[in-house]
Amino acid sequence: MLFRVARSRSGEKISHYDLYKVDVKKGMTVLDALFQIQNYMDPSLSFRYSCRGAVCGSCAMLINKVPRLACRTQILELADTKVKLKPFLALTEAPLGWNPESEVLVEPLPNLPILKDLIVDMAPFFDALKQLELWVVPKEGTEPRKQSPEERKLIDRYVNCILCGLCYGSCPVNAEHKEYLGPAALAKSWRFYQDTRIEERERYLQAALAPNGAPLCDLVMNCVRVCPKDVAPGGAIRRIKQSGSS
Amino acid sequence: MYEYDAIVVGAGLSGLRVAIELAEHYEVAVLSKVHPLRSHSVAAQGGINAAMSENDSWESHAFDTVKGSDYLADQDVVEVLTKNAPLAVIENERWGTAFSRTEDGKIAQRPFGGAAFPRTCYAADRTGHNLLHTTYEQALRHGVQFFDEWFVTSLVRQGDRIGGVTALDIATGAIHGFAARAVVIATGGFGRVYGHSTNALINTGDGCAIALRAGVPLKDMEFVQFHPTTLYGSSILITEGARGEGGYLLNKDNERFMKRYAPDKMELAPRDIVARAIRTEVLEGRGFEGQYVHLDLRHLGAEKIKERLPGIREICMHFAGIDPIEEPIPVLPGQHYSMGGIDCNVHGETVLKGLYAVGEAACMSVHGANRLGGNSLLETLVFGRLVGQAVSKYLEAAPKPQAAPVDEAAFTVRQDLQHLLMHDRGETPAQLREIMQHVMDEMVGVFRTKKELETALREIRVVKKRFVNVSLGRSDERFNYALVRTLELRNMLDLAESIILGALSREESRGAHWRLDFPHRDDERFLKHTLITKTDDTFSVSYKDVNLGKFEVKERSY
Ligand SMILES: Cc1cc2nc3c(=O)[nH]c(=O)nc-3n(C[C@H](O)[C@H](O)[C@H](O)COP(=O)(O)OP(=O)(O)OC[C@H]3O[C@@H](n4cnc5c(N)ncnc54)[C@H](O)[C@@H]3O)c2cc1C
Ligand code: SF4
Ligand code: FES
Repeated sequence: MLFRVARSRSGEKISHYDLYKVDVKKGMTVLDALFQIQNYMDPSLSFRYSCRGAVCGSCAMLINKVPRLACRTQILELADTKVKLKPFLALTEAPLGWNPESEVLVEPLPNLPILKDLIVDMAPFFDALKQLELWVVPKEGTEPRKQSPEERKLIDRYVNCILCGLCYGSCPVNAEHKEYLGPAALAKSWRFYQDTRIEERERYLQAALAPNGAPLCDLVMNCVRVCPKDVAPGGAIRRIKQSGSS
Repeated sequence: MYEYDAIVVGAGLSGLRVAIELAEHYEVAVLSKVHPLRSHSVAAQGGINAAMSENDSWESHAFDTVKGSDYLADQDVVEVLTKNAPLAVIENERWGTAFSRTEDGKIAQRPFGGAAFPRTCYAADRTGHNLLHTTYEQALRHGVQFFDEWFVTSLVRQGDRIGGVTALDIATGAIHGFAARAVVIATGGFGRVYGHSTNALINTGDGCAIALRAGVPLKDMEFVQFHPTTLYGSSILITEGARGEGGYLLNKDNERFMKRYAPDKMELAPRDIVARAIRTEVLEGRGFEGQYVHLDLRHLGAEKIKERLPGIREICMHFAGIDPIEEPIPVLPGQHYSMGGIDCNVHGETVLKGLYAVGEAACMSVHGANRLGGNSLLETLVFGRLVGQAVSKYLEAAPKPQAAPVDEAAFTVRQDLQHLLMHDRGETPAQLREIMQHVMDEMVGVFRTKKELETALREIRVVKKRFVNVSLGRSDERFNYALVRTLELRNMLDLAESIILGALSREESRGAHWRLDFPHRDDERFLKHTLITKTDDTFSVSYKDVNLGKFEVKERSY
C-alpha cells in the first residue's frame, strides 16, 4: 500500500508530500505504518504517539481527509469507513496525484499551527482549559460526596473526552476563527456544569457563553461525527446555547 | 540554564501529585517527554484500591498486599499505603473524579484478584483516565510549571547530592541544563523492554536508567508482572475488572481451567498464578491456535458489559474486530507492570541526597514479588503526596545548587548526542530494539530457566556492543524522534541487563518470578531484595533485607 504523507520541515504549512510503500498486513494500523516508515525508510518523519490503544489522544491526524486517531485506524478498513463532514479548505484541497483508491493520505490535524510534519501546536487547544478554568475548586472536607448513578450518568459522555483535538480539527468554525474555544473545551464546561457534586456550577456555564465560546458555534456537528469516544460535543454546545438564551 | 527548587521528571499521576504538593511553597517544574495527559497513567482501566466498605479494614488490605507480594513487600511501606488509601481516593473524588456509583450514591467497589473484599474503586473501565485528567486539572489550578515534550537525558551530581538534570527540548533539539536542589523521578515503568506489553510505547524506563547511571541502585528488577489477559495480536490490556465482573477463562475444550490452579479463587486468583495457568494450558496444547485462551463475558449480558466495561468492548471492536457481547475474547499473558525500580525508602529517598523516586519508576517496595491489581494507581497518589511532603521538608535546609556542574553536564550530553548522530553507517536502532524485545519475550518471560537466562544475558550484551555503532540516518534537529527512540533504546538495554541479572541470581520461585529449575520459594536465601548497581560498565548484584512486620511469612496459597 502506498502512503502519501504530508511533510513540513520548518513548520507553518505543508511543504510537500512524500510517498512510501508499506507492507500492510491484516490488523495493521496507520500508526504501525508510520513507525515502519520512521524505522526503516525515513527517520526524519515526525509524528506523536504514546498509548497505541486509543486512550491518550496523541496521534490525532488527518487520514484520507478525515480527522482520526492513527492508532485506531485499521488500514485495510479505511476504504469502507466513510465519514461525511461539512467541508472546509483543509478537508477538500487534496494534493495533486492522490488516488484515494490505492493510497492512504496522511496529513497533520487541521486548524492548529503545523510545527513539523504531522506535529501541530496543540497550545491553542489546551489553553482553553486554563482560560475557562476548567477545574474544580475543592471544598474542605474528608468524606466522599454522594452522587446517584443517575446524576453520574448526566456527565458520563463528557468525562470520556481524551482531549485528542479531533473535534477541534474537524470544525469549520475553528478553521475560520482562531479565537474560537472549540468543541472539546465547551463540552468540558458542560461536564462541570452538569456535575451535581459541585456548588458553583454556574461559572462553567457563564465561561462557555463567552463571545469566543458557544455563541460562535454554528452547530455543524462535524465534532460529533469524528469524536472517537462518543462525547458528542455538539450536543453539549446546543444545550449551552439553550441554557444561555432562556 | 534553568533554575528551580525542585524538578519533577514525569507528569503521570505520581509526578503531578508531587508537583501539586510542592507548588504552593516552592518553585517547581515538571518535565515530561509527552504532554501530561498522554502519560501512561491515562490508560489504567480497572480501578484503585481502598478499604472503604463496612467490614473491610486497612489491615485486611495490608495483609492481602503482603500475601500477594509473596512476602517480599516491605511491611512498613504497605502499612502506609493501605492506611492512606481512603484519603487518596476521597481527595480525588473531591477534586471531581467521576467514580462509578452504587445505588445509594457511594463510590462503587468491585472485586479484584487476591483481595478479600470488593475494594477496588473504579470509574467504569477508565479509572486512570478519570484520575489523570482530574489530577492534571488540579495541577493547572495550582499553576504548576510544565515543560512538555522535554526528554530528560541525565542526572547531574554535585558531590554527594543531586544538582539537577539535563534535558532535550524535543521541539528544538537543544540540550538544556536545569539546576535544582531536589529531583523527583516519576517516569513510570519500563514495559517496552518487552515486545508483548500492555504499556504505552513511551514506557521505556528512562528515569530508572539515568538513576542507575548516576550510581543509584535498582531494586527487584527480576519481578516483572505479566498480566494474564492481554488482547491477542496487539497486547492491549483487557482489565482484570472483566474477571472481577464475572468473566470466565476457557481453554479450547471449553473448560474453566482455573479450577485446576486456584480452586477457591478461580479467575480471581492473583495475576502471577492466572498468568502461569494460561501459559501452562497453552504449553500443554489446550490453547487456541497454540497461542491463546478465551475470556468469555457473554453470560454477563449486554447491559452489564456496556455499563461496566465499555472501554473493553471498544478495544475489542476496534483492535480485534469482535464484540464481546457476542464472542469470547482471545487473550494471552503479556508484560504489564514493573515491580522493580529505583531503590528508595518509604519517603522516596534514594542513596543520592536530594534525589527521590515515586510511582512505578520507584521500588519502595509495596508490591514485592507480585503487585495486586488496583494497588499501583493507589501507590501513585498516596506516595505522590507523601514524597512531595518529604521533598518539602528536605528543601527547608538544602543548599542552593551550583551552576557549573549543570553546565558541564549539558556540554557532555551535547557531545554525546553529536557523536551518536555522526555515525552514518551501521545498524538501525529499530533492528536492535526488535532483537532486545524478542530476547526478553522468549527467554525472560512467565517461566524462566538458568539456560535461557544465560543465553538472554549473552544476547543482550551482544546487542549493547552493536549499539555502539548504531546509525540513526538523516533527520533534522527539530522533533527528532529517531533520536529520542534511540536514547530510549540505550536506556532499555541497561534495564534488560538488570532484569536478567536479577533473575539469574535469584534461584527460587516467588511471585511473578518463576524458575522451572528452582520451583520453590527459598526464604532462607532469598527473602531479600535484589540490588543492581552499575559502576562504569559493570553491573553487580547484592541483596538487602526485607522489612518484615506483623504478618508472619507463610506459604502462599489461594
Ligand atoms: C494498560 C494498563 C492498565 C493499568 N490499569 C491499572 C489499574 O486499573 N489499577 C492500577 O492500580 N494500576 C493500573 N496500571 C498500572 C498503573 O497505570 C501505572 O503503574 C501508573 O499509572 C504509573 O504512574 P506513574 O505516575 O508512575 O507513571 P506514568 O503515568 O507512566 O508517567 C510517566 C511520566 O514520565 C514521563 N517520562 C518518562 N521518561 C521521561 C524522560 N526521559 N524525560 C521526561 N519525562 C519522562 C512521561 O512523559 C510521563 O509523563 C495499569 C497499567 C497498564 C499498562
Ligand atoms: S470531544 Fe471527542 S474529539 Fe473532541 S477532544 Fe474529546 S475525545 Fe477528542
Ligand atoms: S497513541 Fe494514544 S490515542 Fe493513539
